[in-house]
Amino acid sequence: MLVFLFALLACLFVPSPSNALQSDPGVYLTQLIEQAQEKKLAEQREWQLLLHYRKGLFGGYESEQDDPGFFLSSNGKTDPSAELAATLAQFFSAELVGRSRQPAQCAFIARYHWLKEQLQFDPTRLPALSCERFDRWYEDFEAQSISLIFPSAFLNNPASMFGHTLFRVDQNGQTEQTRILAYTINYAADVPPDAGLAYPVRGIFGSYKGYFSTIPYYLKVQQYRDIENRDIWEYRLNLTENQLRRFLMHAWELGNAYFDYFFFKENCSYHILALLDYADPGLHLTDEFIGWTVPADTIRLVVSKPNLVSDITYRPSRSTVIKRKRESLPSAERDLAHRMTQDLGELTSPAFTRLVPAKQAFLLDLASDYLRYRIETTDSSKPEWKERNRTVLTTRSQLRIPSEEFTVRPFAKQPELGHKTSRAVIGGGWRNNDTFEEATVRGGYHDLLDPEVGYTPDAQIEMASITVRRYNRADQTRVERATLLNLLSLSPIDSVFHAPSWKLNVGMNTIRHNDCQLCSNGLFNAGIGGAKELRLLNREVLFAFVETEANISKAYHEMHRIGGGGTIGLLADLTERWKLMATGSYLKFPLGDKSDDFRWYVGSRFTLAQNWTVRLEYNHRDRDNDVLFSVQAFF
Amino acid sequence: MSKKVLLLAVAVLFGSQAGLAMAANPDTGPGCGLGKLAWGEYKGQKEIAPQVLQATTNGTFGSQTFGISFGTSGCTNDGKVMSEHKTTMFASLNFEALSAEMAQGQGEHLASLATLMGVPAERHAAFFALTQERYTSLVQAGEASPVALVKSLNDAIEGHPVLAQASVR
Repeated sequence: MLVFLFALLACLFVPSPSNALQSDPGVYLTQLIEQAQEKKLAEQREWQLLLHYRKGLFGGYESEQDDPGFFLSSNGKTDPSAELAATLAQFFSAELVGRSRQPAQCAFIARYHWLKEQLQFDPTRLPALSCERFDRWYEDFEAQSISLIFPSAFLNNPASMFGHTLFRVDQNGQTEQTRILAYTINYAADVPPDAGLAYPVRGIFGSYKGYFSTIPYYLKVQQYRDIENRDIWEYRLNLTENQLRRFLMHAWELGNAYFDYFFFKENCSYHILALLDYADPGLHLTDEFIGWTVPADTIRLVVSKPNLVSDITYRPSRSTVIKRKRESLPSAERDLAHRMTQDLGELTSPAFTRLVPAKQAFLLDLASDYLRYRIETTDSSKPEWKERNRTVLTTRSQLRIPSEEFTVRPFAKQPELGHKTSRAVIGGGWRNNDTFEEATVRGGYHDLLDPEVGYTPDAQIEMASITVRRYNRADQTRVERATLLNLLSLSPIDSVFHAPSWKLNVGMNTIRHNDCQLCSNGLFNAGIGGAKELRLLNREVLFAFVETEANISKAYHEMHRIGGGGTIGLLADLTERWKLMATGSYLKFPLGDKSDDFRWYVGSRFTLAQNWTVRLEYNHRDRDNDVLFSVQAFF
Repeated sequence: MSKKVLLLAVAVLFGSQAGLAMAANPDTGPGCGLGKLAWGEYKGQKEIAPQVLQATTNGTFGSQTFGISFGTSGCTNDGKVMSEHKTTMFASLNFEALSAEMAQGQGEHLASLATLMGVPAERHAAFFALTQERYTSLVQAGEASPVALVKSLNDAIEGHPVLAQASVR
């Protein structure tokens, strides 16, 4: 290895014979490499973080970075010492390296500064090169601090089902009003536009590349708040000046290099945490994630570090703003604002003109919010909406008063207050004339009866869940239920919001059918419908679905049945801790085993603590009755 | 989608402004860096079918550090907006929000635009009132082009007794 390096250096630096041996870069390089070995720099945490090394299961190292341009040694991905030696060697050269074609000192500027500090580079023997590209880029941030940004989950897009995280580089002198001008540091998979159904599959197995980018925050706000209607939480981080500089230097190194993108673990949230880990190596953030990285868990972790988060800001989505503004109005004015979006004649009606200017302004602003919501969320938005919005705004401008500040309270609290994302359950009960005990483990994430604090309301994502049950009289232990994926999204419909509700469930359960008492049954169910929110007691959501279902089981004639039907249901918050869900379904199966099903379900959950709940549930299906009492622990 | 048309319009605008032969590729637009159009292809939440936020690349990863594909019109090779384009790019990409906030006489987009134009914070209120007063003509200018909007704003500031004193970039 060293011989090779010397050969390389010999080509780059032809020492003039008059030079003393002292000034020979080769000699100094050898010294530096020896020093680095003595100090065991390649084994130090900083070096591991800079190169994204992880210890393998059977010893040895491998970097998570997948771009060959990120390494200066051909063995760099797996050999920290060789990479360190090659890096030192390259620092003597002005040759352009890496994907971004800069001298090594500039392309890998965080490595350079760390090694310079560790080995006390002699500037006469290893001259520092100027890095104008980096300097311009760095100064343009006018960086003052870093905020961690969490756009909350958006179920109607698999890429953002669990939410997303990114950083914002807060500027010097930035105010609450101008923070949208700051740049973000965002990591995302580079997915081709026509990916379609290949996306989830390729996303899970890491066949997309993920890159960092620096998109202005105003574009991100537009995307999340205005188009996707996701609430955003902003966590201002306490970093020292030095940590901030380390953070940005490492971001620069990662700019044009890629990691293979893995939807579950090495995703957006995971790789941006690595930047914080390098900024403050004492944090140990990425070490906490082994199997998967859920964005809300990374927020929880960051908030749990003492003194790391200094300030939390809420940025409501447009739909939240509309809902809260409407709530604040008496119903006559609420209706008036809505009529104004449909009939511009209302703007000159006495009902409107007799209101005080501040109230007129409020209603006009709300009408404009409605119209912009419709324009942004509709595929082929009608040109007349735009024109109406223009007229509403022109009328608004003639009032000559600024809109008053309107404070919007979130519907969902911040994510770190929510339950953790994995769940273990033990329970027991009766089924028909038998008793049972059971245990469940669920990988993720949240179902409709789990405590809703910190989660998108009325949205369910269950993944990788398995229940083992022991029947006492039948003396049988079996896999009672298993869920691969169980998604459900309820979107209450009203005069402004029209999104449909939908559900998708793939898994298995245990049925009693024909002569079979306990039979495994594979199931696929998908449905579409609507939901309606009520405020009778506290908050209730009524919903209805039409659905299709396919079953496979040896209990059926021809082993299968296919059919469809409908479900109606109610989800009710009885108190802050107590929630109730009731559903009834009828399904008819004309294909395969010709049969039909009446199903009832009543479930009730009580929250004991942030991560502890109890439930009582009753399931009925034809002549099959099942009562279950259980305790849930989130971890 | 209207957004996309706007983006394209801006791309063409910057291209011609700078006198550069820029391909008006609908997949590229203002904003710097990979994934800049993460939302450009997105058809809105009402679609139930799996939707994917799409980062758009147009192929070549050259010597940029951050991002790709927009080097010629408004972005540096390293993923930043060129300083001379910051105001115009902001005005064009946030035109809808700006026109609402001009009518409403306040808002973060309007305050940010004022900051980019060099209006000091203590004169923002006067700037907001000015934009509300001239709403109709400013929006007309903005619909023609973001450059025209910024120019109209600058002209209005110069003719304003309080704002004219502020150093305007």
